[in-house]
Amino acid sequence: MIEIKYPDVLLDSLENGHMILDDNFIVSYWNRWLAINTQISKDEIIGKKLDTFYPDINYKVLYRKIITALTIGTPTFYDADSNAKFITINRNKVTTSSLKLMQQQVTISPYIAYENKVMISIYDISELFEAKLMIKKEIKKVHKLNNKLEAEKEIIDKNIMLMRTSADGTIIDISTFFSQFFEFDKKDFLGKNVSIFKLADESDAIYKELWKTIRDKKSWSGELKYKTFNGKEKWVQSRVMPILDSDGELFEFSAVYHDITNEKLLAELYITDPLTKLYNRVHFDEIISFIVEHQRKSDIDFALVIVDIDHFKSINDTYGHQVGDEALVSVAKTLKNSLRENDLIARWGGEEFVIMLKNVTLNEAKAIVEKVRANVEKNRITDSISVTASFGLTKYIKGESAKEIFKRVDSALYEAKRGGRNRVVVK
Amino acid sequence: MNKKILNLKFTEDQIDALREFMNVSIGAATASLANLLDAFGTMHIPEIEICNSSELAGKIESTIDLKSMYYTTKQLFTGKFGGECMFVISEDSAKNLGRHLYNVTIPSGDEIKDAVMELSNILTSTIVSRLTQELNVQVQFFVPSSQFIDANSIIHDEDVVEYSKIIIISTILDFQDQQIKGNIYILTKDEAIESLKILIDKKIEEIYG
Repeated sequence: MIEIKYPDVLLDSLENGHMILDDNFIVSYWNRWLAINTQISKDEIIGKKLDTFYPDINYKVLYRKIITALTIGTPTFYDADSNAKFITINRNKVTTSSLKLMQQQVTISPYIAYENKVMISIYDISELFEAKLMIKKEIKKVHKLNNKLEAEKEIIDKNIMLMRTSADGTIIDISTFFSQFFEFDKKDFLGKNVSIFKLADESDAIYKELWKTIRDKKSWSGELKYKTFNGKEKWVQSRVMPILDSDGELFEFSAVYHDITNEKLLAELYITDPLTKLYNRVHFDEIISFIVEHQRKSDIDFALVIVDIDHFKSINDTYGHQVGDEALVSVAKTLKNSLRENDLIARWGGEEFVIMLKNVTLNEAKAIVEKVRANVEKNRITDSISVTASFGLTKYIKGESAKEIFKRVDSALYEAKRGGRNRVVVK
Repeated sequence: MNKKILNLKFTEDQIDALREFMNVSIGAATASLANLLDAFGTMHIPEIEICNSSELAGKIESTIDLKSMYYTTKQLFTGKFGGECMFVISEDSAKNLGRHLYNVTIPSGDEIKDAVMELSNILTSTIVSRLTQELNVQVQFFVPSSQFIDANSIIHDEDVVEYSKIIIISTILDFQDQQIKGNIYILTKDEAIESLKILIDKKIEEIYG
């Protein structure tokens, strides 16, 4: 009958290494796993000192760990993450391995205390260790990416005007640059409706168009006139984008703004008469040239009016140029206030003004201009000064050039002057 | 299934007894360290505190210097009284420990970590073994793990998410000659706290009849 040594069979069947050692490092047991992995057979090592085979182990430390285990009666351990290997065992893994040597978990357990014997168990934790290294590497990558993202986020936050609102326009977040530009504290914005930026006298039409577009889940781009906390008017080029949830429903809006206030001011300067603040001749010329060139039905239905202040030279000669300028400003204001919102008025030069009355018949135009003339007559420049003006009026004829209509309206004005001034002549 | 409602409050007698067992355990640990590591140190009288899991990070941070880096070793133990033993030692102390145990002027990172683990293992094993010996129960120790981290990373909220109540038994280890100082925390939770109470009551009954 074969005698079975149960502890041997048990320890030999385990998928890890087990040796029994005393405090003189004499090996009294060496299991099959160790024999295979170290290529040192039981016969070779049993009864011999471990340092004969493994001189590189720090035996002072090992001795202390053996004595500790024997003294306190519980296992002691080596650090499983250590780069120093207890015994060197090559790894044969060919694919995807970053470890050439087996990473070991080494436990020293008290075995037979009165013989100062311990059991040293070696577990192969290479796979686990590799996974740990990989996770560490990935975490490093994630940290690097996060840092990069944070840096980029900071650049965006400090240099780009951004706003995020809920679907009903409640402000959820804004960039630092936005809050600085609009002179608000960030916390003062949050929870407020985006309408806080709208100017009281700003037309609703553009906002209606904006909301309609974005509620239709489309992006909107355009120029908006906003006000800062201190009431300064600012022009911003805006792009508002709807953000949809996973069901395709409106969730939030995000908006990017770009300050175009200076460009707007420059453009206004280019088209504005500095004294009367009406459009200048250049701008009026551009508009009429465009209309004449394109001949769009909706544009060509207009009447043209030239206004000339009567005896303006004598105002300048009698009261000086300052009063003359005041008269020009005052007449410009009266003219503008007497017209409809859609009509166009510009200073034509000297004491002359040009008006485009849109979508009117000649009779309707005459009635309007008559009212304007009366208003000019009624208006007082100063307590003691008032002026009158002469008006030439004509209707644009489809297909004619700008030169032709101006020739006709000039002729009408000439007749008004010749006819005694302070009157309207239609041609 | 209804969750069992636990009574985690200790009576004054239970606290007194636990403190006494801890004093004995810490005495044993000090002797072990002197014997095994050739380092004569003192250990402070342990503080025993029960707190919510969310308070743990704050409690630990209040006992250490937040600007330092730390070696932290955590070791689990199971049995009728189970939990986690944590040893926190500053970078400077850990280097001194590495120098002392490895007998080198400049210990390597691996040597420092191994030295910390060795000290931590002796402390955990001796304190917990002695405590459980007093309570007549057996425990099994798991392989410790160690990390080198900043003070704020010692405890993350997600680390203690499963815990509701925690008992913290903490003490300070001080080897003045070697300039080594560390904090030891024995953490145990919910059912283990209740189990500890029962074991203490049994022991009190044994002693005082």
